[in-house]
Amino acid sequence: MNAGEYADGGPLEPVVDAEGLEKTYGETVALSSVSLSVDQGTVFGLLGPNGAGKTTLVRALTGTTDLDSGSVRILGNEPRAVDRNRISVLPQAFSPPDRLTARELLAYYASLYDEARDPERVLADVGLAEDGDTWYENLSGGQQRRVCVGAAISNDPDLLFLDEPTTGIDPAGRRTVWGLLEALAERGTTIILTTHDMAEAEHLADRVGLLADGRLVATGTPSTLIAEHGGSSRLTVDLETDTESGPSATASTTDDSNLEPPSLERARDAVAHFEYATTREKEALVIHDVPPARIGAVVDALEDGDVAYNGLSWAEPNLEDVYLAVAGDSERRGTMQPTTLEGRASTAGDAR
Amino acid sequence: MSRLGRIRGQVNADWRSFVRRRTAVFFTFFFPVILIVIFGALVRTDPTGGGLFAEQPAFYVPAYLAVVVLFTPFSRLGSEVARHREGNRFEKLATTPLSRREWLLAQTLVNALIICLASVLILALVVALTGASIVYHPILVAYIFAGVVCFCGIGAMLGSYADSQDGAIAASNALGFPLLFLSETFVSLEQLPGWFEPLVNFSPLTYFARGVRAATYPEATTGTAGVAGLDPVVANIVVLAVLGVVTFLLGARSIPRTD
Repeated sequence: MNAGEYADGGPLEPVVDAEGLEKTYGETVALSSVSLSVDQGTVFGLLGPNGAGKTTLVRALTGTTDLDSGSVRILGNEPRAVDRNRISVLPQAFSPPDRLTARELLAYYASLYDEARDPERVLADVGLAEDGDTWYENLSGGQQRRVCVGAAISNDPDLLFLDEPTTGIDPAGRRTVWGLLEALAERGTTIILTTHDMAEAEHLADRVGLLADGRLVATGTPSTLIAEHGGSSRLTVDLETDTESGPSATASTTDDSNLEPPSLERARDAVAHFEYATTREKEALVIHDVPPARIGAVVDALEDGDVAYNGLSWAEPNLEDVYLAVAGDSERRGTMQPTTLEGRASTAGDAR
Repeated sequence: MSRLGRIRGQVNADWRSFVRRRTAVFFTFFFPVILIVIFGALVRTDPTGGGLFAEQPAFYVPAYLAVVVLFTPFSRLGSEVARHREGNRFEKLATTPLSRREWLLAQTLVNALIICLASVLILALVVALTGASIVYHPILVAYIFAGVVCFCGIGAMLGSYADSQDGAIAASNALGFPLLFLSETFVSLEQLPGWFEPLVNFSPLTYFARGVRAATYPEATTGTAGVAGLDPVVANIVVLAVLGVVTFLLGARSIPRTD
């Protein structure tokens, strides 16, 4: 029977179900009214600035910290009562025995479980088949982290907690790990992932939770969060400076000037009839909310207005914008007050 | 994988980790050797005179063995627990089927193997350098194992309650040296003030020393007290085994499973 599947074939209960988690270290609030649930076979990404409470939340869910209050159930049990063959954890600053080879380490962690994957296969999966006989302490930082990821998946868990799994791994290695995690999720493994890497969260996570100051301030699918908090798309017109276009330039082009350079004024005038919002960023004009189909029209308008520019770029909002909007707000204000926006946690229950 | 398989996996990892630290291996064996050379060959015993070493060389065999039976578990377990904690290894292990008792048992088995090897070396050196005449009683193995279990448990507690590896090593030295010299090992009970005797009886190492001495040096006239009128060889191993079980359970319980 799979995780959370009722014997009568009824609905699945969440693989992770946490309610009202509170945890303080002295005066520091690590978790405050955190509630969440994660369904089987999904990847849940936890994002947040340093000290937001991500690691404490992972520890709360795995039973490796004592909560002040709140309840946690994973795979239908309390964390310390769950069959440990079915879960696995990669702690954040994890350092396994350093004078074992990568191959020996994977064999060691495999030996701790009733059933485990072939260590040779795991070694190949994390891209270290060539370095299996190297002592852990002699591997590069990225290779070490890959061994740790391998150790975490050695028991083929139903529920996998990864605390910043790709820290220090190069882009190619990161892709290897991502592929591995995607394959696990496709086979039904539920993954809770903390990361600072927005691309990683956007690539892997079915749902994302944003933690700030110990509060889960927003949850949802990446696309939902981006739509709600990511702001607008941006068409950036990198204008030629007036000194580049001719000697007649008179206005300052510094960012803090109230006087706009003539090139910027021309660009604004050229696109004014579209009624898109525009902002200035140094020597560039940023035009907001331009749909991809309308980019050509904007370019034509710039040409008709005799606007000289060095380049154009168009970008959709992404999770980083959400992160900065939500977590950045919190960092600036010191505390995050829950809002009533859909997808943002107005109460503990709404975050679920 | 069964419980046995888990313990075997942990023993394999611990043994490999130990033998690959050449400095640790060298000094684990060098420390007792240097003590035997200093006390046994340079200072030498003087059975006819007064002072510290007034007994026959065989009297001090338990003391030389105690150096490894006491200090190796104290320092290795203390620093190993601290190292595990600093590397978040216990956070990982707490979510595997390996229990804290199984982890400590694996550590104890590795220590027992190391200490048995060191003990063979010590006995050979004591006989060769001091001319001690000793009985090779098979119960010596049981004493060494019971002692290792006992002091691994205490070492685990030291590592758990110290806040760093340095702290664990300092604590093990601070506790180990008084125990080594005040447990009827190098210093006999007669040389200590009367009021100190209850403290000597409080030390697990006292029962190790008395029992090993009674087994290997039956002619000893002191330092072989039994318990409740029982044969000292049997009585002391029983006491040491009971203390071993208690300290092992307390040691396992002290190992952190939360942050």
